[in-house]
Amino acid sequence: MLELQRNVIFGQYVDTGSFIHRMDARIKLVITFVFVVASFLIGDFIGFGIVLLLLALIQIVSRIPVGFILRGSQFFLAFLLFILVFQVLFYPGEASNYLWRWWILSVSTEGLYTAGILGLRVIFLYHVTTMLMLTTSLVDLTNGLELIFAPLQRLRLPVNELVLVFVIAIKFVPIFIEEIERLARAQTARGVPFDQGGAVTRARRIGRLLVPIFISGFTRADTLTTAMNTRSYRGGRGRTKFRLMEARPSDWAVLALVLAWMIVAWLV
Amino acid sequence: MEDSAPPILELRHFGYTYLEGTPRASEAIRDASFEIRRGERVGIVGATQSGKSTIVDSFAHLLRVKPGQVFYEGRDIAEPGYDRARLRREVGIVFQRPDSQIIEDVVGADVAFGPTAAGLSAAETRERVEESLNTLGLPYPEYRLRYVHALSGGQRRRVAIAGVLAMRTPVLVLDEPMAGLDPRGRRELLELLFRLQDERDLTLIVCSASLTDASLLCDRFVVLDGGTVVMDGPVREVLREVDRLAKLDITLPEPVIGARELRKLFPDFPTDLLTEDELEAEIVKRIGAA
Repeated sequence: MLELQRNVIFGQYVDTGSFIHRMDARIKLVITFVFVVASFLIGDFIGFGIVLLLLALIQIVSRIPVGFILRGSQFFLAFLLFILVFQVLFYPGEASNYLWRWWILSVSTEGLYTAGILGLRVIFLYHVTTMLMLTTSLVDLTNGLELIFAPLQRLRLPVNELVLVFVIAIKFVPIFIEEIERLARAQTARGVPFDQGGAVTRARRIGRLLVPIFISGFTRADTLTTAMNTRSYRGGRGRTKFRLMEARPSDWAVLALVLAWMIVAWLV
Repeated sequence: MEDSAPPILELRHFGYTYLEGTPRASEAIRDASFEIRRGERVGIVGATQSGKSTIVDSFAHLLRVKPGQVFYEGRDIAEPGYDRARLRREVGIVFQRPDSQIIEDVVGADVAFGPTAAGLSAAETRERVEESLNTLGLPYPEYRLRYVHALSGGQRRRVAIAGVLAMRTPVLVLDEPMAGLDPRGRRELLELLFRLQDERDLTLIVCSASLTDASLLCDRFVVLDGGTVVMDGPVREVLREVDRLAKLDITLPEPVIGARELRKLFPDFPTDLLTEDELEAEIVKRIGAA
């Protein structure tokens, strides 16, 4: 049966109560930013090898099973592979490096190398952002982002509103996936066999769900707006926090460790 | 002879865990066993989160059912090669939220969806659509071309029921059929279900957190609590154990609540009362005796 929630974990929050879950959200966001910068600076396989060790460490400390992430990333990985194949085939390499060539398609060592690095870079970014969302609750993520971008409020930028929109957009993904599952189940009961047929037929059947999903999406957004209005939400101005965030020394230590690790990976 | 035939639906040590094998796994049903015989009218009752909807979904193989746990007409629905499409043509489910099961935009087309998918001829499909809509008090000529989204909640629920009725399934499962209906809508739906029971040899399964409607519709209750079957028996037998029921966060029928209060005066006051008339008769009897 269609169990999309297993296969798409984007935006989900899984509370295992680990050290990473308890870290200050701001520090986690800064670390994510460090990773993003590092992913563009690092350009060789040795560097990414060093990064991989750190990612493995994070994975172990977070107590989120690797199998869960791999299973939940299968669509993403399949899509990435598809793109990388094109990257290799259309890479304009030096004539001497061609391993195989036909018409405008070719496979060159350079093409393979570039595609490999690109793939690692994207997987790195994906893993880091996925881990951030798996280990940070909606409230922490919103508070952390608001606090980090608070200085921009002086420039009259609506920081709180922008952060809220961003976080809602991400956290709505799992809700929609659940909704699609529910719809698919109800339609299966009426004789649309979602669990049978080939890939193309299945994809076409999913298309049938788009209209109801859109309608329910608008209804949900409407309800959310009403709920926020009735609770007198009026953006960030003058709003105080009930739960204050405090970075512990261990959080700073983690940030320092990640920074050092990334610099090593970049320089080797 | 009746007893030698296999039950139409049977759960044998049925268990289900959502997102099994992931950190978000949650167990919904644990070791549930009961059978439903053809023509029976069973109420599956329990508070929210007690596992009612999971059981409903398992009847039509809408979950990953493990082999050896769910049987339809004596056959394991999870065995390889089992015809699930046929199962879904025989077990009709009206879900809690009608909107999720309405497929087409227009009322007539939606009710026709099931029969068409089952391969019926256009003439027969039309006849069934007309009959189902009329049965549900949505006159065919008037409602055939109406847009589903423009209807009220109660009307949409009726369209959803009509869509399942048009399949003429031997088993009809209703998940919280009365939710969101006004008193008149409830009464009409109750009358309709009574009529359907009389007219067709229907096996009726009603899921609810309220015993009020279920006690009028069903002969038997299967009571769930926290994913396990805690009581199973004829309606009156279950109602007699009112103190156990009261602990389960289930809405009890008004006469039963009244009778429970009266137990403070008459410790042996019966609680297996289905209607206000029965309650009244019992009170009159007590007063007469006193």
